[in-house]
Amino acid sequence: MKKLFTILIVALMLVSIVACQKPKPAEQGKVFNIYAWNEEFKGFFEKYYKVPEGVTVNWIINPSDNGVYQQKLDEALLNQANAAADDKIDMFLAEADYIGKYVESDYTMDVTSFGFKNASTQYEYTIKAASDSKGVCKGVSFQCCPAAVIYRKSIAKDVLGTDVPEEVQAAIDSWEKFDAVAAQAKEKGYYMTASFAETFRAFSNNCTKPWVDENNNLQFDDQITAWIEQTEKYVQNGYTLTAGVWDQEKTNEMFATGKTMCFFGPAWYYNFCMNNAMDPNDGCVGDWCIVKGPQAYFWGGTWLLAATGSDNTEMLKDIFETFTVNTDVLKSMVKDDNQYVNNTDVVKEFAEDPNYGNTNILDGQNDIAVFYELAKDIKWENHTNYDQILNEGLQNKLQEYFKGSVDKETAMKNFYNYVKEQYNNIIVPEA
Amino acid sequence: MKKQPEMQGRVKSISYAKWGYIFIIPFFIVYILFTLVPQFLTVYNSFFENYRIGLTQVGPNYVGLENYKALFTPQSDGTILILKYTANTFILWIIGAIPQFVIAMLLAVFFTSGRLNIKGQGFFKTVIYMPNLIMAAAFSMLIYTLFSKVGPIQLFLEHQGIIDKTFDFFAYRVSVRGMIAFMNFIMWFGNTTIVLMAGIMGIDQSLFESATIDGANAWQVFFKVTLPLLMPIFVYCFITAMIGGIQMFDVPQVLTKGDGLPNETTRTLVMYLNRYLSGASRNYGAAGAISVIIFIMTGVLGFVVYKMLAAQYQEKRSAPKYHRRRQRGENA
Repeated sequence: MKKLFTILIVALMLVSIVACQKPKPAEQGKVFNIYAWNEEFKGFFEKYYKVPEGVTVNWIINPSDNGVYQQKLDEALLNQANAAADDKIDMFLAEADYIGKYVESDYTMDVTSFGFKNASTQYEYTIKAASDSKGVCKGVSFQCCPAAVIYRKSIAKDVLGTDVPEEVQAAIDSWEKFDAVAAQAKEKGYYMTASFAETFRAFSNNCTKPWVDENNNLQFDDQITAWIEQTEKYVQNGYTLTAGVWDQEKTNEMFATGKTMCFFGPAWYYNFCMNNAMDPNDGCVGDWCIVKGPQAYFWGGTWLLAATGSDNTEMLKDIFETFTVNTDVLKSMVKDDNQYVNNTDVVKEFAEDPNYGNTNILDGQNDIAVFYELAKDIKWENHTNYDQILNEGLQNKLQEYFKGSVDKETAMKNFYNYVKEQYNNIIVPEA
Repeated sequence: MKKQPEMQGRVKSISYAKWGYIFIIPFFIVYILFTLVPQFLTVYNSFFENYRIGLTQVGPNYVGLENYKALFTPQSDGTILILKYTANTFILWIIGAIPQFVIAMLLAVFFTSGRLNIKGQGFFKTVIYMPNLIMAAAFSMLIYTLFSKVGPIQLFLEHQGIIDKTFDFFAYRVSVRGMIAFMNFIMWFGNTTIVLMAGIMGIDQSLFESATIDGANAWQVFFKVTLPLLMPIFVYCFITAMIGGIQMFDVPQVLTKGDGLPNETTRTLVMYLNRYLSGASRNYGAAGAISVIIFIMTGVLGFVVYKMLAAQYQEKRSAPKYHRRRQRGENA
């Protein structure tokens, strides 16, 4: 009897051990940490994504000025392996100017590892940007960022005698024509642009060589030189204000009282920079239209990258899907939030819809149709990991030159020193 | 008769000194861990190549004095950047420190003067100390907003026709340096006033009285009695203010967004250090070397200033002491 009892006990124990060893689905974490540099995506996330029960989402937001965001993020990523499961970054946001740095590293993980598949509706360049040199994709973009010229209709009417997009486009479809219109605008007492760097992206995005060559030499593309020459002329002739791209001095020009005709930006620009234009009292909703402008370009874009070590892979997959293939969400983002989403089916539907028009800020023009055409040509090339610091540094240092407080030579020297201090490995011309 | 020395002996043998040591142990532990060790580490780091390219770490490799050499390598036009930023730092500090000390001294004398007998001193002291309670960065942000191109001062002056639309306070060396000096002055003169007042109140009142009876006027009292006797406190104030000045960072950093506008004329040593340390490169080597240079500079200047200013009062003070000792010796 005793023996039988012992055997029974042992058998029970064995069963329980085997039962314990049965493979279970990977345990999902209870805390989801997201690094971001502003509140833009946070807004969409909170509006459209239903967080699974019991999961807390932590937003760690640092501004991107002077590279602060990247520094904080790098610090956290380098510590990722040692961090407690709940403190590990699960997802972080990256911008076109520096996404390569993270995609190429081991700190981001293959999206297929947690079962996400890129949809054929995603824009090709957004996938290329999020893939490393071997073609392994590490994240997705929730937006596509073809950029246009956003102009004030009333000012265009006064300057050109027309505010119809096709005719305005015909008047500014090359930089020579754009300059000529700037002179006309000046005569009428308007500014063509409100920031010395307003046209920067239109030039820099068409560069034919990267900022830094394979031997780490800093190089100036002809497009950058062309931008400097144009801005010199614009400042000298009073065609533009000398404010920075993000300055209040510039955004004040978007009030109804503003005197500036053209702004350069993609769809995210509406919500991000044009709040003054949408101000219920002093704004000028409906006085805006968009056209391609002198040169097609794209600007920025926010990619969501999966951080290696995340214990919330199901949620990652879910989020990625919500913002790339969930058509209900994406349609609402277009209609209500003025976004140009990363789904060709959705944007095509809007572009071909004769009843669709943007009335949140534009005059009812179908801006998606314009962006749809522009987005076809976007290519991902000539990007380096240094772009943010170099673009920002060049603008900051040259702003002083354009404002007249230093000469060009000094401004360039200050820029080279700035680069040297930020990136020890980049070889700059003798400063 | 015999008991007395015995008792004295016993009392002397109880040592309270150990409690003194015990009480200061926490300070020394914190100081060693968080100040002394990092200080040595900084020196150590300055001899290494140690920076990042993106997420890739370079070094640490021992490079000897290379980091120092790089800092003192002149540019193509002959300027040595670190010297330029040192000059900026001192200019910014001096133009703020002169009004700071003059006004503080004046106020300290007024407040302690028995003749003026100013009412409501508590109120004034609080008010002049107040700016020091604001975080420097916040104060700097405030001034930036006031003087920015869309700020109220610009708009007011434009409206009055005093300046035109193209005027920019941040495009002129004089105005930006002026703003920084002004902020430092406003923030620190209250503190200096209170310390100097304490110093003046520590001077024996009878000296002022006897000077007045001897017919000295206010100027003579100030220069012949107050100032010489205030010297130890004044030197303390001056040296601490100087150390603070050499480390000037937050005010110009926030005001000029780290760029030291215009043309880096308001870029201080610590701002220079900061870009190496917290910039994209995380260059501990270069940042360490700058820190060591700042440390040496502070030490040397502190010593020189102390010797120069303190020499006078030391002579005056030690003379009577020596005299007294000798007298006592003769009596014994």
